[in-house]
Amino acid sequence: MKNCLWEVINNKNSLSKALAEEAAVQIRFGKTKKPNVIWIEATGCSGNTISLMNADYPDLIYLLDNMINLKFSNSLMVCDGERAFESFLKTLKEDFILVVEGAVSTKEDGLFNIIANYKGNKITAYDAIKMAGAKAKSIIAVGTCASFGGVSKAYPNPSEAKSVKEVLQKDVINLPGCPSHPEWIIGTLAYIITNEKIEVDDLGRPLLFYGFTIHDFCERRVYFNNRIFAKNIGEPWCMFKLGCRGPVTKTDCPKRRWNNKVNWPIGDNTPCIGCANAYFPDGMEPFIRL
Amino acid sequence: MVKLIIDPITRISGFLGVEVEIEKNKIVEAKVEGNLFRGFEKILKGRYALDAVYLTERICGICSSAHALAATLALENALNLVPTENVIYIRDLLHSFDIIQNHIRHFYLFTVPDYVEFDFSSPLYETCHKDYRIPDKLSRKIQEDYLKSIEFSKLAHVGVALLGGKAPHNHGILPGIVSVSLDRLKIEEIKSIINKIKDFVDNCMLEDVNIISMYYGDYFEKGKTYNNFLSFGLFDYEDFYYVKPSVIINGVKSDFDVNKIHENINYSWYEVHDGQVVENIKKKGAYSFVKSPRYDKMPVEVGPLARMILSGKYNLKSSTMDRIIARCQEASNILRIMSIIVERIEPFKKEVKYDFKVSSGLGMVDTTRGALLHYVKLDYDKIDGYDIITPSAWNFSPRDDFLGTVEKALVDTFIDDINDVVEVGRIVRSFDPCISCATHVTLRR
Repeated sequence: MKNCLWEVINNKNSLSKALAEEAAVQIRFGKTKKPNVIWIEATGCSGNTISLMNADYPDLIYLLDNMINLKFSNSLMVCDGERAFESFLKTLKEDFILVVEGAVSTKEDGLFNIIANYKGNKITAYDAIKMAGAKAKSIIAVGTCASFGGVSKAYPNPSEAKSVKEVLQKDVINLPGCPSHPEWIIGTLAYIITNEKIEVDDLGRPLLFYGFTIHDFCERRVYFNNRIFAKNIGEPWCMFKLGCRGPVTKTDCPKRRWNNKVNWPIGDNTPCIGCANAYFPDGMEPFIRL
Repeated sequence: MVKLIIDPITRISGFLGVEVEIEKNKIVEAKVEGNLFRGFEKILKGRYALDAVYLTERICGICSSAHALAATLALENALNLVPTENVIYIRDLLHSFDIIQNHIRHFYLFTVPDYVEFDFSSPLYETCHKDYRIPDKLSRKIQEDYLKSIEFSKLAHVGVALLGGKAPHNHGILPGIVSVSLDRLKIEEIKSIINKIKDFVDNCMLEDVNIISMYYGDYFEKGKTYNNFLSFGLFDYEDFYYVKPSVIINGVKSDFDVNKIHENINYSWYEVHDGQVVENIKKKGAYSFVKSPRYDKMPVEVGPLARMILSGKYNLKSSTMDRIIARCQEASNILRIMSIIVERIEPFKKEVKYDFKVSSGLGMVDTTRGALLHYVKLDYDKIDGYDIITPSAWNFSPRDDFLGTVEKALVDTFIDDINDVVEVGRIVRSFDPCISCATHVTLRR
């Protein structure tokens, strides 16, 4: 990790692209196989799929064409009904990577989130994730709900939602964020295509993307150091006193930025609300202290 | 008689199953099942009032700004806050970027694969239906536009991010203010984005929907609803408007009256216990987590078609293809309105003070999929109660005395090939279902 520190800090914006290109090249020259991917949407808002569609370098089509065989995705797949679920079942017999977005609802044995009806049987997301989780080569939890429970698990947790790791009790790569940044998703997929394992911290987050706090590289850090604080939304200074969670939130938002890198929440004069944290949202409120 | 369950209905937001009974190639019974429960109203209770804006955004990944706006309107109503015209224009602009993002994505990513067979290599595009009628040359054109559309829907979210920090789940809209720092450069950037997207919508999207409608003319006869339409109003300004709050019931237009909205849970997996609505998955006869909102006891259709009809821009008729065409035409119309609004916004100084008290507020706005309502009850700066009626709840509600709107659209549909029932998916998708939204409403007290 230390050796690549400089790379990580200075090449944030091209890191995912470089990783993705490396993966695509290795696949094209037969050095590695294009992996199958099952993407299950569970109890959440499907915002991570939308975020993935916002991917820029590389974009969604590059991912689908050159990096993965996406076999199951409720939001995107053309097929529907039993045939769609059969594609899921068939893929279980091969090698595949499991991606989950959304928390896993366990109330009434998972009946609060049904993802298919196959030959008269209701298939819950809970069942599907257990089935796929038992066989998957790697498991990636995308977004804060899948990683830690997130908004879906917020008190009083009406759907008895759990994180993917809580349900599967296996190693899970967590890519929290509400939503997760498309480059964290594509970069991680690319990395595990070309390498055996990705280095993660004790919460399962890849150090490549979650190694530093927002505070470490915040563009308003100089105001913090000089104790110049914003007292209202819209002021261009450090928002620590408005409740900014940058100091406790580990993501690379300040360098990576969002949506073709045009902006990010602090750039929009609002505090970081710590959406990538394990205890979001319950431990992060109030989001704005006025 | 054949009973058929299509679940999952893919290429939508959230989880939806449809159960149909078919007799002599005709659908005689339809049940639309919302298969996800999250319980936002329970999660919101006791939390800080302002947090409702960012939290309710998380109801929906594809229309988050809509919830931010409705929550903001509800809080402004409760706090007696009146935002300046400039603030209203800026947040309407942000909201409309999200609508455009959705309309482009819904048309190309979710609708087009129903009518055009793709020759892309990804297994995602494998099809399980046979009824594809568009000739190769035109099909290739639409597929090329499909690839372009990914850029332009993304660009619409860049518009959201410029004004709101990031998308989805932006930070920009709050009661009384918008957080963005505007300067001339940023305004020019936004103008340029609007023009680029408008160019694509007018020259590609409208043409593509036209091609599809020519080859699938029978879908002007499939998927008819009651001729009941509702809108809470959108872009309703002093000197011009797109659509005013209004309703059409049985073909007759009248003014909108909020007191005529009621919800029932007869066929939903809920029951009332000590005045509280609680979930009960074992309830007899129930088949959905979606509740049944009604206007004057009638099920109504909401969304782009309803708005286009209510604003007089579309003839009074409803069908699968009319719904799809109306969405595309509306995208073009909203982009036109956006280029008017963007000329009116200007840099400003942000100042707001919240004076919390015991109060309640109602926020109603028409959005991507139709009429959205937020209701908040405040105990000073804490939320004492929260209710949401989403657009997809209007469209995808289960029955009471009447079939739900989408159920009505399905029943009586002629099925061409009983071994390849493609009609159900096409009809249901034309409503742009968002079940992650629809399934956590509660009874208004």
